[in-house]
Amino acid sequence: MKVLTIAAMNLKRLTRDRIALFFVFVFPMILILLIGVSFGGDFTPRLGVVFRGGGGFGDELVRSITAQPGLDVQRFDNKSSLVDGVERGMVDAAVVVPAAYDDALRSGRQAQIAFVAHPGDLSTALRTSVDSVVAGQAARVRAARLGASYGGVTFQEALTRAGTVATTLPGVDVAVTSAGGGADQASFGRFDLGAASQLVLFVFLNSVAGSVALIQSRQLGMLRRMLSTPLSARTVLLGEAAGRFGIALVQGAFIVFASALLFGVRWGDPPAAAALVVAFSLVATGAAVLFGSILSNEHQAAALTPLGLALAALGGCMVPLEIFSPTMKKIAHLTPHAWAIEGFTALIRRHASLAAVMPQLGVLVAFAVVLLAAASWRLRRAIVG
Amino acid sequence: MRSALLIASKDLLRSVRDRSVIMLAIVAPLGLAFILSTVLGNADSGSLHVRFAVVDQDKGPVASTFVNGALRSLAEHGIATIDRQPSVAAATRMARDGSVAAAFILPAGLSRAVQSGRGARLSVVTDPGSVIGSQIAASVARGYATELNAVRLSIATAASLRGEQPTRSQIAQLRRRAAATEMPGVVSQTRVGSREFDTKTFFAAGMAVFFLFFTTQMGAVSLLRERSEGTLARLLAAPLSRASVVAGKALFTFVLGVGSMAVLVVASKFLMGARWGNPAGVGALIVAGVFAAMGVQSLVTTLARTDAQAAGYGSIVGVTLGLLGGTFFPLSQAPGFISRLSFFTPHAWLMRGFGELSGGVAGLSDVVPSLAALLAFGAVTGTVALVRSKTIVAA
Repeated sequence: MKVLTIAAMNLKRLTRDRIALFFVFVFPMILILLIGVSFGGDFTPRLGVVFRGGGGFGDELVRSITAQPGLDVQRFDNKSSLVDGVERGMVDAAVVVPAAYDDALRSGRQAQIAFVAHPGDLSTALRTSVDSVVAGQAARVRAARLGASYGGVTFQEALTRAGTVATTLPGVDVAVTSAGGGADQASFGRFDLGAASQLVLFVFLNSVAGSVALIQSRQLGMLRRMLSTPLSARTVLLGEAAGRFGIALVQGAFIVFASALLFGVRWGDPPAAAALVVAFSLVATGAAVLFGSILSNEHQAAALTPLGLALAALGGCMVPLEIFSPTMKKIAHLTPHAWAIEGFTALIRRHASLAAVMPQLGVLVAFAVVLLAAASWRLRRAIVG
Repeated sequence: MRSALLIASKDLLRSVRDRSVIMLAIVAPLGLAFILSTVLGNADSGSLHVRFAVVDQDKGPVASTFVNGALRSLAEHGIATIDRQPSVAAATRMARDGSVAAAFILPAGLSRAVQSGRGARLSVVTDPGSVIGSQIAASVARGYATELNAVRLSIATAASLRGEQPTRSQIAQLRRRAAATEMPGVVSQTRVGSREFDTKTFFAAGMAVFFLFFTTQMGAVSLLRERSEGTLARLLAAPLSRASVVAGKALFTFVLGVGSMAVLVVASKFLMGARWGNPAGVGALIVAGVFAAMGVQSLVTTLARTDAQAAGYGSIVGVTLGLLGGTFFPLSQAPGFISRLSFFTPHAWLMRGFGELSGGVAGLSDVVPSLAALLAFGAVTGTVALVRSKTIVAA
């Protein structure tokens, strides 16, 4: 009962602090929205094209690229304005078709098409669209080149024949399906994984930042004074931990429900998602109480925000763990963040059940036990002396 | 003027002795930039590594060319590990539980169908948890199918032009010739970059700019703290003008901001290999950026009553503008309205200027738009802050 009173006091301190409320509730939602809108891939990608020559093949290539579904194609006058367009973000990537493209294809030479993209842009969708158009045209040109030499006709005649043959030839195609059932990729909301990463990032970040409250209580001697009342050290410890845990849990639950309502994020199996939120909140509580009991003043606590961001980056909250190198993946799994994200990813994208995320839950609980044990030992020493 | 210098140097001395200032202004941005670029730098160097499963039920030449050609080349380039699986069920299970990013299924009779000119289908079963690996798998399989179709079209066209059904050996010969034909058009990737950051420099600049807006709040916040601690009243009791107190604080902040940025530029250059470009341009941007950051954060500080509240408001503004201004992730990939919105933040102008320079071709004159925008931000917000600071110093 007294534990709850101390915990409730901690929650009340949070509700009085409007700045903290912004970072606990409003800011994560802004970030989920911004990241979802920026990287969700739901908007039409814009492709710039430069082609200054004339002739059939070049025109045909540009026409076919323009006709690709789901692409917004913009023509540029010259290469420098196009490169500028990519750099300024007016288009996402661009294609430069050489002026002598038609000539090269007709005379049996090879033409170089430049695909201009941002460094570090992982999206392969635009490149794949361009490749498929180029390859489709190349197939007919190759057939015409072989046909012309084999059949002893002109390139143009062979090309016309290749066009006719192509319409009747049954093709080899590729079916891409998701092992989870259903269509590949498209069925996932663009906010889904962003929301899970932000939950992990912010629950941890706000918990460790919240350890300032504990430091202040210690500095003001509040905790020692509480011991002069009939409260036991154990009750005080539990109350402080329960308060931090309550805040982490409220924030986690808020992000889950608000992102589900506002952005349609599907968190997967409810008991499993709840278990992950609770386990990760315990980890964050352990870290918060530990920092709250070992740091000696608020200025030192200023380092906790960068530390929280760094752990989040290492743990895969900022880029998917998938693109980490094998060594970085191992390092990532030293953070609780990576385990939590892995668990949420399994629930959201693989529709995993509670049993399937047991390993992740187990590791998180182990993190929580170690951190909480260390934290209560340090805090007890700090207040009992 | 002498008293302003004294106040500024006293504050500077205090902040150098206070480890939390060094932490916030130097260690945190440098450490975060280092971690982010180590984690995300992979995207540039292409050290992506995924695992694929393949089920060969065909056991014919078409399947073996795929496995020993396209897939082996992925393995040799260190992009993927290839895992042969005996059954579709086993491979699908691996894709479902995420132990492979995708499974390629080459059905029985594939080679016969391809060679006899009938339709055929390759399947790719993807791990729903894999975003990038599954895209690579699909594009590898589609590339192979495209090549098969191209060779078939070549053979069929050649045969049709001869006007006779070719013999088996003629088909084999045609297939070899068709497969050996040079690609008429090749797509080569070139990266823009003459006016854009590489990953390391992006994070070094991003973190420096992000934390600059926290460093530059210190002067204004210390004014509030001095007021609450009563030292401001004592300062004003001395034969000092109010203006010199404010000027001292402003000078302290300016030197702290420029100094920390300069340390970050030099340290990231030598420790991380960041490339900043033209020194005169970088210097001008730092001065204009510190001016803008001081203006914005001093204005925010004058809206608060206590130093704790001011620090809180400052972090809301710093974090929100930093995010919108593209200090954490590049906004070049964001849709148009966010890119446009970002130009209402000084961060975006500063990042744009640093980006122009980091490619190594732009000089001082190329960053004039950024400099003008930053000076305008600083002048407008700074003037309002100065007017409002009278109430703080007067109280």
